[in-house]
Amino acid sequence: MMQQFWEVCLSRFEQELPAQQYQTWIKGLRIGPSEDDSLAIVAPNRFVLQWVRERYLSRIEALGLEYFSQPLSVRLSLPEAGTRTPAPAAADERTPAASTAAPEQPERNRVAALRADSTDSTRVAAPAILTRSVIDGGGERDRSRLNPGFTFDNLVTGRANELARAAAVQVAQNPGMSYNPIFIYGGVGLGKTHLVHALGNEVMRHNPDAVIRYVHADDYYADVVRAYQQKSFDAFKRYYRSLDVLLIDDIQFFNNKTRTQEEFFYAFNALTDAKKQIVITCDTYPKNIQGVEERLTTRFGWGLTVQIEPPELEMRVAILKKKAEMERVKVGEDVAFLIAKNIRSNVRELEGALKKVIAFAHFHTVPISVEVAREALKDLLGAHNRQITLEFIQKTVSDYYKIKVSEMYSKKRTRAIARPRQVAMFLAKELTPESYPAIGESFGGRDHTTVLHACRTIADLRLKDEVLNHDLHVLIQTLRK
Amino acid sequence: MMRQLLLDIRPIAAPSLNNFVAGGNRDLLAHLRAMAGDEPGSSVYLWGDSGSGRTHLLRALAAESKARGLYLEVDQINFTAADTLIGALEATHAKLWLFDDIHLLEPDAQIALFRAVNLAHARGVTVVAAGNSAPRDLPLREDLRTRIGQMLPFCIQPLHDEERIELLHAHAAARGMKVDQEVFDYLLRHGRRDIRSLLGILDLLDEHSLTRQRPVTLPLLREVMQTRLI
Repeated sequence: MMQQFWEVCLSRFEQELPAQQYQTWIKGLRIGPSEDDSLAIVAPNRFVLQWVRERYLSRIEALGLEYFSQPLSVRLSLPEAGTRTPAPAAADERTPAASTAAPEQPERNRVAALRADSTDSTRVAAPAILTRSVIDGGGERDRSRLNPGFTFDNLVTGRANELARAAAVQVAQNPGMSYNPIFIYGGVGLGKTHLVHALGNEVMRHNPDAVIRYVHADDYYADVVRAYQQKSFDAFKRYYRSLDVLLIDDIQFFNNKTRTQEEFFYAFNALTDAKKQIVITCDTYPKNIQGVEERLTTRFGWGLTVQIEPPELEMRVAILKKKAEMERVKVGEDVAFLIAKNIRSNVRELEGALKKVIAFAHFHTVPISVEVAREALKDLLGAHNRQITLEFIQKTVSDYYKIKVSEMYSKKRTRAIARPRQVAMFLAKELTPESYPAIGESFGGRDHTTVLHACRTIADLRLKDEVLNHDLHVLIQTLRK
Repeated sequence: MMRQLLLDIRPIAAPSLNNFVAGGNRDLLAHLRAMAGDEPGSSVYLWGDSGSGRTHLLRALAAESKARGLYLEVDQINFTAADTLIGALEATHAKLWLFDDIHLLEPDAQIALFRAVNLAHARGVTVVAAGNSAPRDLPLREDLRTRIGQMLPFCIQPLHDEERIELLHAHAAARGMKVDQEVFDYLLRHGRRDIRSLLGILDLLDEHSLTRQRPVTLPLLREVMQTRLI
């Protein structure tokens, strides 16, 4: 009976979820034995378990209610000891308390529990370094190319990235032993790079002798090209295989670079065989990477694949407040909310907007208020790529005054038509770099003096005529949108 | 109908922060002046329409920077192999890298700039980039575009007519031209009013006045505009 229900569940999820999410989170779930009427779901690992509990449990319960016409109790657990599971399951078995935590337990505690139990496990000392001849001079930190400013502590965590963060912490505390590789994917500017630097820094904090290297895929490619030119493939190979932790960013840029992929394939095998940690970031999940050999993308999926999603509003507000704090500037909730509401896509642009608000307030020596922030961000948010054309002005003004566009070029001189026409000419002069003769030409071949007269008339009138002044404000806003 | 002037005649006076007519850009100018000191501070992106003075500001800052500025035109990036460019940036002592017209970067050059921006970040070098639209509208690779969006953004505000006349006066004075006010008034009334076109005509006027040995007057301007523009 549960089996049948579960199949219904699966097909519903398959319809409702994007294929990738279904593959990652749902497909690996199994039905376990259950003595009572409850549904026992076995998740392949703790991350999936947490994720399912958080995102899909209520949906499963709802489907249960629909199917059985009575509330269904759902239990989530990890595979029993003894069954064949991936390496990290060892840690899972020892910590049933953390993994079977009640669903209502606050997320923070769960992450904390996760970290606490990982620290219990034995740390593996970094193996001896084979060679570090390729890059000379500087300390281990310089060689690693790690940015010390990116740590777990200053990474703002929310629903969007907590799983990835928890996984990265786990890997950092147990490099090479838990998930290898760890594959972190998500859109641009969501903090993938921050996360991998934090991971590297954490490893280094625990083990200052570890040989860690952060490399962007483009730089790795450049290294391959250089090795080609200098015929130094041996040194190249030696170097990359000597690492304890290799952090490679934006692997999607390997697309169609065959030799780079081949070199990376061998490095990957050598490192994983030696239980050295590989950390990969990408803009998409392994199977979806374009122009990368299958033998690589398959391997990318061997360890753990975690996604970073765009931050939701609350998290964007939290990020802004954290950044402001780092700049030692006080930014109110309302201001953070204003910025976060307007910039949704990625964290970097949030930062740019915040810098703008701070610089603006500083220059005008005013406190940061919502009004100040709105003024500071006017250009950034109201930005448009469209050049304002004469035709666009004529169309907008005609619509506004409810006359035909053709009246803009007609010879009629009644007030109801002439005034809007003058307004349009005035706006053409204000908002475009066109010359008076060019403007006149586009208004039915009128002389430039007519345009000049119109501009003067409107400029004078708006000072006395509030309605006209209001019209102009509205029109300018509409045109600039 | 008038056509746009596409004259590539540079002003005689070298671009400087002092000979930029501020208009509504006082905060930008103040910020760039501060950046010209020993510590350029955080990276900046500035955008504005063609003729708004992007190149002027970048070149001025590069020249006046105490921390040494390295100014790169977009074609220097477009036509240089990424490795060569990165090698050059790795070797330079300049603490301020300025990249102009980044909206015109070719796909390969975008990779180069992406690496350059990351390199700058890693080395504590300040970047100043300029383009023709707000960060969100830049036609660049998303990872590069957002890195530009992370910089402190400034939109260069266009000048009002009075400020344009001020600028024309300054430019004429720099060229040693004596120009009647009515010439400027006529120019603003009849020509395209973006700065590049205005300065282009002024340069042309100067040339004509010199070659024909005639003073810069309204009739000469009319003649120039009729022969060269229509």
